[in-house]
Amino acid sequence: MEIQEIYCAQTGDKCNYIKHASGLDIYICEMNGFSTTEALFGTKYGSINTMFKTKDDAEYTVVPEGIAHFLEHKLFENEDCDAFALYAKTGANANAYTSFDRTCYLYSCSDNYLESLKILLGFVQSPYFTKETVDKEQGIIGQEIKMTNDNPGWRVLFNMLRSMYHNHPVKIDIAGTVESIAKIDAELLYKCYNTFYNLHNMVLVLAGNVNTEEVLEVADELLKPCEDIELETVFPEEPYEIIEKEVYEHLPVGMPIFNIGIKCAPLSGYERLKANMECYIAGSIISDPSAPLYQKLIEQNLINSTFGYEVFDGDGFFTLIFSGESSDPKKLRDMLTEEIERVKKEGLDRQLYDSIKKSSYGEMVMESNNTEAVASNLISAFMSETMPYDQIKILSEMTYDDVMAALNTRFDTKNLVLSVIE
Amino acid sequence: MANYSRKVIADGVGYSTIIDPKFKTNKVQVMFITDLLKEAAAENAIAVGVMGSSNCKYKNISEITAKLNALYGATINVHVSKQGDYQKLSIGVTSIHNRFALEGEDISGEVLEILLDCIFNPNAQNGEFGNEPFDFRKKDLLDTIDAEINNKRGYAVLQAHRKAFLNENSGNSPYGDKETAGAVTSAQAYSAYKKLLSDAQVEIYFVGSEEDPSVEEKMKQAFSSLERKSVSNEFVALSPAKNDVCRYEEKLDVKQCKMVMAFKSDNEDRYAMKLMNTILGGTPFSKLFLNVREKLSLCYYCAAAYTPLKGAVFIDCGIEEDNIEKTETEILNQLEEMKKGNFSQEDIDNSLLSIANSLKGVGDTPSSYINWYYGCFIHDEVLTPAQSLERYSSVTREQIIDAANSLKLDTVYVMKGE
Repeated sequence: MEIQEIYCAQTGDKCNYIKHASGLDIYICEMNGFSTTEALFGTKYGSINTMFKTKDDAEYTVVPEGIAHFLEHKLFENEDCDAFALYAKTGANANAYTSFDRTCYLYSCSDNYLESLKILLGFVQSPYFTKETVDKEQGIIGQEIKMTNDNPGWRVLFNMLRSMYHNHPVKIDIAGTVESIAKIDAELLYKCYNTFYNLHNMVLVLAGNVNTEEVLEVADELLKPCEDIELETVFPEEPYEIIEKEVYEHLPVGMPIFNIGIKCAPLSGYERLKANMECYIAGSIISDPSAPLYQKLIEQNLINSTFGYEVFDGDGFFTLIFSGESSDPKKLRDMLTEEIERVKKEGLDRQLYDSIKKSSYGEMVMESNNTEAVASNLISAFMSETMPYDQIKILSEMTYDDVMAALNTRFDTKNLVLSVIE
Repeated sequence: MANYSRKVIADGVGYSTIIDPKFKTNKVQVMFITDLLKEAAAENAIAVGVMGSSNCKYKNISEITAKLNALYGATINVHVSKQGDYQKLSIGVTSIHNRFALEGEDISGEVLEILLDCIFNPNAQNGEFGNEPFDFRKKDLLDTIDAEINNKRGYAVLQAHRKAFLNENSGNSPYGDKETAGAVTSAQAYSAYKKLLSDAQVEIYFVGSEEDPSVEEKMKQAFSSLERKSVSNEFVALSPAKNDVCRYEEKLDVKQCKMVMAFKSDNEDRYAMKLMNTILGGTPFSKLFLNVREKLSLCYYCAAAYTPLKGAVFIDCGIEEDNIEKTETEILNQLEEMKKGNFSQEDIDNSLLSIANSLKGVGDTPSSYINWYYGCFIHDEVLTPAQSLERYSSVTREQIIDAANSLKLDTVYVMKGE
C-alpha cells in the first residue's frame, strides 16, 4: 500500500494518507514530542442522513429521526461485553459523538495506543443489537434528549434551523425525539449499520504519538475488506427562502439569548470550504471586537463578550450564524442588517481585512500545535471531501475581492432568521 | 517532559518557566490568588476583566483586539475561578512563535509589552478605571451571574456548593452575587485592582519552546517596584460535615430533574480519596456509570467529582422526577459497596490506568503544564506526573476502603420541573 505524504507549504506540517485495500481512507499525523495519541474512526453518517439507498435497493429507505445517534450508543455494546470495559484495560479515554453529518468513535491515550486501536477497529466492525439491548437504551437516550431540551443554547439553534429549512433534515434534533426513537428496533439498526458503516464511507485518523507503519500493521490485521455498495443519500428539495423571520421560546435563562442566521445556497467540496472561509472573514470583519459595529453595540449595551460568529455548513445546508446574549435582540438584528448593507455598498475595511486574515493564520498555526485539533481537522477534511491543509492554502490565496464577492452573494439579509430564548 | 523551574521574584510572587521545544506558541499567565470573600469577589472579577480588555495605550476592547489581530491572532484571556476557599483571577496571553511571522514582526515582544501594560498601566485616571472598559466588564459580569441558570447541570452543582459550603468562603461564587456586583463603582474596582497587585499571592507561568529571559526580568522589575508583603496561604481546608443532612429543592421550568449529592470527608490522603472517587464514579466503567446508568437506565450521566481542597465529593445526575428516590438509594448503595470493600483488584487497576492516562498527557498543551505546576504549588510539593502516579499506585485496598468510609452525606440538592 502506498503511503502518500501530504505537506503544508505554509507551516511545514505534514501527514500521511493511505488508501487501504479494505476501502478505508487513513490519515496519520506523527507529531514529535507529544505524549498523547488521538484516534478517530468515523463514518459519513449523521442526523441528516435519513433517506438513502444502495445499489441493491430499488427504493429509498426512510428511517426515524435520531437513529444515527442511537446506533452510536448501541455500537459500544458487543455480544459479550461493553467497549468501555475493553478500554478500561488500556487506560484510554474513549468516547463517541454523532453530529449532523458524521458519527465518530474516538479515544485519547498516552500508552498502549495500538491495543486501543485494536479495540476501536474491533467493536465498530462488530455490531450486536437485540430487542433487550435496544429497549434498555431508550431510557438512557430519553434522558439525554430531555437534558438537551433544557439547554437553551441548543434550543435557540434548532428553533432557528426549523424557521429556516422547509425540508432539509438539518432542522431535526440529532438525538431525535422520545417518540421517534421509540420506532427504532434491532432490524432498522442493522439496516443503517450495513449501509453506512461500509469502510468505503469511513475514515480512520490518528494524530500525536503514533507511527504509521505500526498503525498499518493493525489496520491490515483487523480491517475487513468491504464491497463498495454505491451508497446514495438524498435530501428533499429545499427552497432558497426561509420559512419565518422570527421565532421565540420561553425557557429559564438570564439575559435573552439569540441566534441570528442567514440562510445561503448550499455548496459542496472545495467550493464549500472556500466559501466557508470567505464568509468567515467577511462576517468577522463585520462583527469582530475590533469592528465599528461591535463598538456601537457595546455603547448601546446590546451585547456582552458572548457575542460571536460562525459559519455552519454541511451537505445541503449553509448558514451564517451570529449569536450571543442581548437585552434587545431585535434592535441588534436591525443594526447588524444595516451594517451588512452598508459594507456591501461601501466595501469592507481593508485594514480590518488584513488583520483578521493574519489572525486566522495565527489560529491555524496554534491549532497545528494541538493533537486534538490536528485530528479533528483531518477528519473534517475527509467529511467535507477536501484535502488536509486546504484551509490554510485557501487563506493564503484569498483576495479582498473574493471576500467582497462572498459578502455580496451570500449575506442576503432578506433570508435572515432571528431566534430568541427569553 | 519539559524543563521546569520556579523562583520567587518578589514578595509573594512566584515565577515558573516551562520550556518544551515542541511548542509553536508562547504563553504567559499571571494568576492572582486571594480570599474568596462575598463582598470582594465581584470587584476583583471586574478589575481583572478591565485588565484583560484595555490598557493605557489601547483604551478599550476594540482597540486592543485590533492590535492583537495584527499580531497574528494573539489572545488575552481572563479567567476567574474558585480554588477551595480562594478566588483565582488569571490574565494571560498566547501568541505564535516569532518564526511564523510573515513580515518579521517581534510578536512575543510586543505581546509581552501589551500584557505588562494591562497589568501595571491600566486604562485608569484619578483612582478610577476608564468608563468604557469598566462599563463593559461590569455588564459582562452581571450577565455572567444571570447566565448561571442557562446551564442546568452547572447551575445545580453551583447551588449544591452554596449549600454544602454555607458560611465558608468556598460557598461563595467567584463572580460574586448580583447585588454586590451591581453596586461596584469604578473607584472600588480600581482599589480592588491595587489591592490585588499588593496583597494577593501571584503566580506567573511562562511556557514556550525556548527561554525568554525578558519575561522574567520585566515581571521582576514591575513587581519589585510595588510595596508587597510576603503572603502565606493554607489552600487545603477540609469542610466539616453537617450534623443533619441539608436537603434543598428548587423548582424551575425544566424537563429533566437534576440531583446533586454532596459528601464530606476528613481524610487527608488525597491520593486514596481520588482513587476511591475514580472507582465509584470517575469513568465509564465506574460503579455509578455501570449501575445507575447502564443497569437501571435511570440517567444519561451520573458522575462523582472530588475536590481535594475541601475534602468533598459531589455526585450529580439528571433523572425523571419519579426516579429521584430510587436514584438516591442506588447511589448510596454503590457507595456502601465501596465502604464494604466490594470492588475488585481489576477495578483498582483499571482506575489507576485511567489516572495514568491523564497524568501522562500532561505537557501536550501549554495549559496542561500550567495546571499541573499550579496544582503542585497549592499542595506545596513539586512532583512530576510520574512521581504522582507512583503515589497513586502505592495506595492500598484498605486505604481506598477507609477513604470511602470517611464520606458523610452532607447536602442533597434537587431541581424539579414546575
